[in-house]
Amino acid sequence: MKKTIFSQILYSEKWGNLKRKWYKFSRNPLSIIGLIIVSIILFFAVFAPFLTVHPEAVSKYVNFSEAKQLPSLRYPFGTDIYGRDIFTRVIYAFRISLLMSGVVILIAAPIGVILGVIAGYFYNKWISILIMRTTDVFLSIPPLILALSICSILPRNLLTTMMALSLLWWTWYCRMLYGLVTSIRGEFFIKSAELIGAGKLHILFNEIIPNCLSVIITKMTLDVGAIILIGSSLSFVGFGAQPPTPDLGGMIASGVQYLPDAWWMSVFPSINLLVLVLGFNLLGDGIYDMLTVGRG
Amino acid sequence: MKNRNIIFIIKRLLYSILVLWALSICVFYLARCIPGDPARMALGERASEEVLQRFRILMYYDKPALVQYYYWLNNLFHGDLGVSLVTRQPVLEDIGQVLPATCELAIYALIFATVIGITIGVISARYHNTWVDNLGRIAAYFGIITPSFVFAIMGMLIFSYVARVLPSMGRISPELIYTSKITGLITIDALIQGNFIVFFDAFKHLILPVVSLGLIGMAEEGRITRNSVYNNMGKDYIISAQSYGVPEKVIMFQLLLKPSINPVVSILGLEFANILAGAFLVELIFNWPGFARYGMNAILYKDINAISAVILIVGVFVLLGNIIVDIIVGFLDPRIYLMEGRSE
Amino acid sequence: MVIMLNKKAKILLIILFTVGILIIISSMGIASSPSIVRYSSDWPLSIDPAIGMDVQCVVAYINLFDPLVFLDSKGNAIPHVAKSWDVSSDGFTYTFYLRPGIKFHNGEEITAEDVKFSMDRLLAIGEGCGYIWLGKIQETEVVDKYTVKFVLEETFGPFIKTLYSFYIVNKDLIMANIEKPGMYGDMGDYGKKYVSSNDVGSGPYMIKKYNRAEYLLMEKNPNYFLEISSAPDEFKMIGSTEPVLLQTLMSRRELEMTNRWCADETLESIAKIKGVEIARWPGGTVTYIAMNTKRPPLDDIHVRKALAWAFDYDTAVKLFAGSIQARGPLALDLPGNDPNCFQYHRDLERAKAELKKSKYYGHFDEYPIDCRWNSNIPQEKMAMLIMANASDIGLSVNVTETTWALFSAASSSIETTPQLHSSLHTPYYPEAGSVLQSRYHSITTGTSAQSEWLLDPVLDEMIDDALSTVDENERYSKYKEIVKYIIDLCPTIFVAETPECVAYQAGYMEYPAAKGEPISAYQYENCMRFIKVDNEKREKLLKK
Repeated sequence: MKKTIFSQILYSEKWGNLKRKWYKFSRNPLSIIGLIIVSIILFFAVFAPFLTVHPEAVSKYVNFSEAKQLPSLRYPFGTDIYGRDIFTRVIYAFRISLLMSGVVILIAAPIGVILGVIAGYFYNKWISILIMRTTDVFLSIPPLILALSICSILPRNLLTTMMALSLLWWTWYCRMLYGLVTSIRGEFFIKSAELIGAGKLHILFNEIIPNCLSVIITKMTLDVGAIILIGSSLSFVGFGAQPPTPDLGGMIASGVQYLPDAWWMSVFPSINLLVLVLGFNLLGDGIYDMLTVGRG
Repeated sequence: MKNRNIIFIIKRLLYSILVLWALSICVFYLARCIPGDPARMALGERASEEVLQRFRILMYYDKPALVQYYYWLNNLFHGDLGVSLVTRQPVLEDIGQVLPATCELAIYALIFATVIGITIGVISARYHNTWVDNLGRIAAYFGIITPSFVFAIMGMLIFSYVARVLPSMGRISPELIYTSKITGLITIDALIQGNFIVFFDAFKHLILPVVSLGLIGMAEEGRITRNSVYNNMGKDYIISAQSYGVPEKVIMFQLLLKPSINPVVSILGLEFANILAGAFLVELIFNWPGFARYGMNAILYKDINAISAVILIVGVFVLLGNIIVDIIVGFLDPRIYLMEGRSE
Repeated sequence: MVIMLNKKAKILLIILFTVGILIIISSMGIASSPSIVRYSSDWPLSIDPAIGMDVQCVVAYINLFDPLVFLDSKGNAIPHVAKSWDVSSDGFTYTFYLRPGIKFHNGEEITAEDVKFSMDRLLAIGEGCGYIWLGKIQETEVVDKYTVKFVLEETFGPFIKTLYSFYIVNKDLIMANIEKPGMYGDMGDYGKKYVSSNDVGSGPYMIKKYNRAEYLLMEKNPNYFLEISSAPDEFKMIGSTEPVLLQTLMSRRELEMTNRWCADETLESIAKIKGVEIARWPGGTVTYIAMNTKRPPLDDIHVRKALAWAFDYDTAVKLFAGSIQARGPLALDLPGNDPNCFQYHRDLERAKAELKKSKYYGHFDEYPIDCRWNSNIPQEKMAMLIMANASDIGLSVNVTETTWALFSAASSSIETTPQLHSSLHTPYYPEAGSVLQSRYHSITTGTSAQSEWLLDPVLDEMIDDALSTVDENERYSKYKEIVKYIIDLCPTIFVAETPECVAYQAGYMEYPAAKGEPISAYQYENCMRFIKVDNEKREKLLKK
């Protein structure tokens, strides 16, 4: 692995740095709470089949005689209008939400980052202009409308919704990285690397990107929540996961009509949605604090 | 310096026009991609083939795509956005009716979000890592994580259903017939004409939707401000100002505020357009006759002309917003202009 | 100085805000208005009778316009614009004598010219409910000022009843506002643009304000030819059906009636409000699950029968309060129905036996079944139910929600029409023929009314023959034959005969439909002139 003088200094300090950063992270109780929440949710999502008593609640099953039951020992979150246990559905819905965010981020982030870095570094060259104008076209349509338009053309299912979201999500990364790179490319360490004669690819991947990592990781963590929220708005209109697959947004949307009587149908999924997004946001902020040099 | 500004602005304008043109092509193509026969959609499924064919000829649907694009663009420049397949009215008229309603919502929501958001952010950063900061962060979080429709429904239930304090739908109470339209924004029109009853009534109707919409913006801007101020507080020039004994309030308002609001301002343009388009759930719930709901119905009903018009208009708003914002940001943070100079 | 100003500014702002809020709170209070009925309906709406067919459009037409004849609640034709009529002995010519002195809202009188113009316009535009008379009317003739003659292409038994849906529009007013060039040659756009936002009717209500995005406000016609003094002064259709909004409006007494097709839960929730009750009456609606008979695996009658045996009818009936299991495609008391026709019930053994006879047996996973429903909670429940029932016998069904527009587009060809479609149908005129033609005749394939794609020439022949029979009893017995034939084909799962359910303010509103008696005339219950509203009682309820 080629290393410049600067990145060598960076690497040798890495472990020591991490220990310090963990200390800083752990000092803020909110960030720890975020970490705990995310861990619990991940645990539930991964081990869902072992933690639920009513696995049929997520399959092709209806039981109208058990419909609209109040929360009880048997049904911790009550049942919905089809008689399915809401607790089970919420746990499985975590899987779907995390899957959706994961897939969208894993597709959108690399594409967006690479394009953004290229556009930012080769500022004023034709490739930068091309990339940024394309990004502008995508960004000039608010995400919800664009997602809706794309989803309305394609058949309605989870896969197409994820594709539609990825298609518009990479632009945020691109623009963010573009802004970041244009402001750092004038910094000394970049100029020195160029002077030494480092190759373009090396500069991009070994100098610029590691310095943007903190922002990228923060954004990725925060995006989990954002994608889940947009997903829930799309589910409100019927896109995304189709029945009987549970989806937090979809559950809220269908439960909301029965307020205030059958309150548990929308309240529990809402609370879980909020907790999920809260957890990732707290974690993301903690990571941001940890990786940036502030006043502390 | 001034010359550079003007060149910068002109460049941005030209690029924006290019982007708009590319957008129009995308929009046109997207609309044609939507499966379904537009003639059938416009005339209903019972219409006979003969009637459908006549319609197609009238609308040039039988001509190749390029020709259609030409006619469409031509009409666009004459202000003719086509006829909505759903309401059977000219799209321009429809949008003229619904756009001011959402603009009113968006402007108020933006003011709400910005003012309160920045305040929370500054306070949070000033007392960072204390309980005030955490409280502010949690408040901001709840703004971010609650979808606008959840808050709208809760708000309506609490304030309109349980405690009859606020009205639940529409822009003004039905008995108030408000006729003279100057800007289309009821509150502004009423103020201009000195009609305070209408003003307060419209204001009452605005409260719930505005807060529902502004919540996310407020939280985001709060958090961005907080991080930005926090960041800048560690910078050299602040530390030197402190060691010189410059009073706290001066540091906060004069030295920190301008560069810190930079990231907030830079998303303002996008925020406005986002609210414009994302307000549809709130508009649905409050029966607000707005642009977002119109656009959303257009998409669901595959109203091709309306969809194209809506996306284009939103695009125009976004691009305009971006230009204005870039100019303002340029004033706040001269680094951008200087960068332009250096690379040339 | 800077700091002091900021403090002052802050204090000023706080004071202004408090004052503002105080004023807001004190300026509450709704001024009393003329007696009004507000009705939540689906949107959008069309006020042109040649164009719309949806429920909300008909609700508007029935109040804004006058049809040639009216029906009583049992479905018999009574005079309205036409005071009497003659039928020629061969059944090809119908002569209507109009009542003089009925005025349009702009003061002009209804004459035979207007009737002829209305029919010609309806047929030329060819949208909406024009399909009922398309191809059946050869010519409309003006005999003299108050006499109009319809010459038919072929005999059409129920003709007079169908004219309940034929609304008279103002010829002179429309002709003065035609736009050219347009799709209809000399007639330009036939006034479509003008009529879509202007009042060209003569009905008991006139348009007061039409805000196309939000509501349609109508006021009573002071010169109406019938006595309507006790009817509400105003009628407003509000374009929103969000359950939470309906509940809020109902409790604040700002809504008098909800639309049909609310979920049972929503209705029950609303009915908990003091003074609000649910009105239920049989309107002839049959809820069903249509099966696309031309797409595998449902092109095999054994698979269709298997699904019909597997469906849980009892649970479905319980889902719709006040309903009974359907007997065939028609409601029980629809003229022409056979109350003794065959009825399925849930029998898993027979279902599985039918499946074994199918040519696709063993290969069902190659043919996934797609079930669609649109925008209506009761239909969603049925879709979910058939999904669960189908998996009981080993068939895999996927349920998707769709919008009406999408579904209408998908209905245009066999391959894109989903295999299962959960829906309901209300007869347009009070006879079996209306349902049988709309649902099973080849004319309606390619529309959302028929997902079955029967394309059966024998059936077409039978339906056409029945419709052209002038003698009622003969016609009804032919309908019975047709029903038997259809049931044998098993193209649909007939679920339930569901009553119309509407929540309304019983505390201060008299709603005739609430008596619960069957109503055969389409949307007869929303004729505002039969409804009464008592403002004093409303004020009392508000104060509580």
